[in-house]
Formats: sequence, structure tokens, C-alpha cells
Amino acid sequence: MKRLIDIASEQSAMQSVLGLTNVFEGLASMRIAQVKDQVLSSERFFNELWAIYSQIRINKRFSYGRESDDKVIDKDLFIAITAEGGFSGDIDQKLITWMLQSYDPTKQDLIIIGHHGAIQLTQAGVGFKRYFKLPMHDNNINVLPLVGQVKQYRSTIVYYQSYVTLMVQDIKKIELHGAIEAASKKVDKNDHIITEENYIFEPSTEIVANHLESTMLQITLTQAILDSKLAQYASRFRSMRSASEKADEMSGDLKLEYNRTKRFLSDERLKEVINGLRKAEQVA
Amino acid sequence: MAEGNKQATKVKTLNVKVASPYQVYFDQPALSISGNNLTGPFDILPGHHNFISLLDRGELVIRTINDEQKIKINGGVMHVKADMATVFLDI
Repeated sequence: MKRLIDIASEQSAMQSVLGLTNVFEGLASMRIAQVKDQVLSSERFFNELWAIYSQIRINKRFSYGRESDDKVIDKDLFIAITAEGGFSGDIDQKLITWMLQSYDPTKQDLIIIGHHGAIQLTQAGVGFKRYFKLPMHDNNINVLPLVGQVKQYRSTIVYYQSYVTLMVQDIKKIELHGAIEAASKKVDKNDHIITEENYIFEPSTEIVANHLESTMLQITLTQAILDSKLAQYASRFRSMRSASEKADEMSGDLKLEYNRTKRFLSDERLKEVINGLRKAEQVA
Repeated sequence: MAEGNKQATKVKTLNVKVASPYQVYFDQPALSISGNNLTGPFDILPGHHNFISLLDRGELVIRTINDEQKIKINGGVMHVKADMATVFLDI
């Protein structure tokens, strides 16, 4: 049987765990509210820009905003967006496992965003070309270094995490080239087509189109990063909630064990006193 | 006074919206908006032809009936159509 003092010490440690998990749960919940606001605000802005971009019809093939003399690496690029630190549940592991199922180092290069994913790739013995930190801030995310990499490859697939609800997160992938090109052809019946005949482009049609292609790449990457951050916060919230519930349950068990042990010891002491009294009576 | 109001309602305006992904800086009718692009400074007045332009770093000047607003920018994209000028910043 455990000593009373040991049970009390375990119980105190469990209370600390419970307190910590509650703090992490609260922090994650706060971040979710903040990022959700950012996502909604940026979505309105980006949708307006998408609507304009999708109406443009000019005599130019989609080229990722590349210059005509830019060399293209004859490989696909895989980008995986993972969490920067731990405490994010098993969602990173799922994403990496899913990505590695289609990964062939002779045909693809890997770029990993987030330290947690980088560690998992290293543990799996998979090398990656570049590592980027997941941006700390939720707004003004600078994706230009990433766009610079994307432009070098013939195509890019982004693996990211998606927020469905607070308790449900999904893993998704998007083929950047296909997604942007498809969006550029999607026009509602009510939309007007933007051409060189009915619009003035300054400084030139080519420069504007190239800039917008590059911008659309940035927007798609930014949205994937924001969606991943939201999913990671939700995943962290979920795992902290479950850890907190487990700690609460264990703390309850320890309290019960403490009380039982205390009563047992008290009963034992009482028995000893009674036995002692009986023996004393017999001697007398 | 009533005559003055009538004149004010006759003034042609265009709707101007200046926004970045996370903030709207200006969203109301204006008399004109001026900026800079690679070809030089330009003004957009009501009735301007459909227009898409990349903006250079500098200042956007928006004149309204009552005052003038200046917004410093690092670049952006301006879209003008049917008396609606939208400026997308930080892209």
C-alpha cells in the first residue's frame, strides 16, 4: 500500500497538471477566436481580388508569375504546413504520413514549414530541401520566400491542415497550379470579362497579369497557412481538453485512494488501541 | 442653404475603397483618388474608363467633398470600374 504522504504528493502534482492543461486549453481557445477573425477579414479581401482575377481574359498562359527566361526544375514541389511546437495532438503525424505515401525523392522535393513536422521527417529518415518556421503572427504573413521556391518548380502541392469545427480537424492538399488556373477560368454569368479591349492595364497587360498570378499564389499559400494555424490551435485545444479530463479523473481517483488509505490507517490504529486495551484488561 | 444642398447633391463622386487583408482604411464616396504607377502620377475621377493598375510605393490622395485624405502605401493594385475604385494594399 502507498504511503499517505506519497499519495498526497501525487495528488498535488496531478493538480498542477490539471492547472497547466486548463491554461493551455484557455490559450488555444483565445487564439482560435483571434485567428478566426483574421481568416474572415482576409477572406472578404481575397474574395474580391479573386473575383477580379477570375474575370481577366488576356492572351497569356498561366505561368506562376514567372519571367519568360526563368529556368524551371523538372520536379514537383511538396510543401507541408505543420505546427511549430508540440502540444498539437496527432494531426502533424497524420499529415506527414499522408504526404510520404506519395513522396518519391527522384520526382519531388520537399519543403517543410513548422519545426514539429521537420522533427518528424528527420525521425522518419526523410530529407527536405528547405525548412521555414511557421509564422508566429497571424496577420501580415510574408510568403514571398515560399513563392520564390514555388516559381522554380513545374508544379506544387501543398499539404495542410484544415479547421472544420473545434473538435474536428481535417488534412487536405491543394495543387497550386491547378487551383489557381481553374479559379482564373471560373466566371459567374453576371461577371464581365476583363480584356485589353475594355480595360486599361498599367504599366502593361503582361506586368499586371504576372503580378496578379504571383499575388494569387501568395493568397492561396497565406490562406493554407492560416487554415493550418486555426486547425492546429483547435487540435491543441482538443488534446488539452482530453488531457485535462484525464488529469481530473486521475486526481479524483487519487483523492479516493488518499481517503481510503487514511481511513484504513485510522482503523488500524483504532484496532491496535482496542487490542491493547483488551490485553491490558486481561492482565488486570 | 437649400440651394447649397442641391448643388452638393449634383457633385459627381465615385466610391473609393482602400483595404489591406486585415484592415479597411477608407470606404466612402470621393471626388477623386490620385496615386503613382510606373508610368507616373495619375488621377481617377468619376466616369473614368475601366482600369487596372499596379501602384508604386508612395501616397494615395483621396479628395472628398469635405476634406482630403492621404494614405501612405508600399504598393498595391487598383481596380476601377463603373465609378467604383478599389485599392488592394499589401499584395
